[in-house]
Amino acid sequence: MIRESYTRVSGTKEWIELILRWLVGCVFIYASFHKISDPALFAKSVYSYALFPSGLINLIAIVIPYIELLSGLFLVFGVYPRGASSIINGLLVLFIVCLSINLIRGHQFDCGCLSAGEEMDKPTRWLLIRDILYLMACAYVFFYKGRRRLSLMQ
Amino acid sequence: MNSQKTIKEAVVILALALITAFSINFISPRGIALVGQWDTSQGVVSARTKNDVVHEEREINDIMDAKAVFDEHTAVFVDARRREEFEEGHVKGAVPFPVKEYENIIESFIESNPFDVPLVIYCSGRECEDSHVLASYLSDEGYLNARVMVDGFPLWQSKGFPVEK
Repeated sequence: MIRESYTRVSGTKEWIELILRWLVGCVFIYASFHKISDPALFAKSVYSYALFPSGLINLIAIVIPYIELLSGLFLVFGVYPRGASSIINGLLVLFIVCLSINLIRGHQFDCGCLSAGEEMDKPTRWLLIRDILYLMACAYVFFYKGRRRLSLMQ
Repeated sequence: MNSQKTIKEAVVILALALITAFSINFISPRGIALVGQWDTSQGVVSARTKNDVVHEEREINDIMDAKAVFDEHTAVFVDARRREEFEEGHVKGAVPFPVKEYENIIESFIESNPFDVPLVIYCSGRECEDSHVLASYLSDEGYLNARVMVDGFPLWQSKGFPVEK
């Protein structure tokens, strides 16, 4: 009886881990597409945050989309899931810090998160809440200790 | 939890991402320079793509120089902003030419403006590329003297120069 209930709980946790891993992975793969297809536009979004030195803006715009894409793919396929989720958690913390600074100082900017330009009208606090939810989901994937379903590596 | 293993995994992913990012950026026609032009005091900001439309030699960096051209009454001022923005106020005598309506407007623009007429194109300032995009298109059409007033309408208006609605 106890064993059955333990198996059921751990089975549910496995499914939760799979859903959250796929959700975060797919969101990051999707988020990378518009940045990869128009790096100049994404560089302008990075510039609009008014947080980074001029010399770093293009490098950020070149590198971040591929970190998102590869980490997302690794999460979806379950390759190095802990390493991939640690990177995505790091990115999310960075995004949350940048959004918070601009929210506090009332600076309007193009988030450039999921699509270029379209998010100018979205209140920064909603973007912040969304990123915090993704961070919680990805933290679950990172700290998960059981067997990972449909994962090429554990 | 083996944190050393996690760090190694993350390093592998980051290394792959860096190699992929710089390789594709180097090969892709949409790739950008490693360092962009993000200093508004130097002109219109730009990531500097391989086919960058922002050309510094086209820029009129000092609004007073643009005013001097305006006072000569020889140049046509062209407003590259959205039509709603144009209607809210524009440089006196300027022609509306939203970049997104290029295909619809270009024929009538060429009919009214000979290729040798000097053009001064503007949009919203040094963070706006539309004036450069339009200058590039019009130069390709054959216009010999398409220049960009980099400070755009906001500074023109705040200086108290002639505007109309």
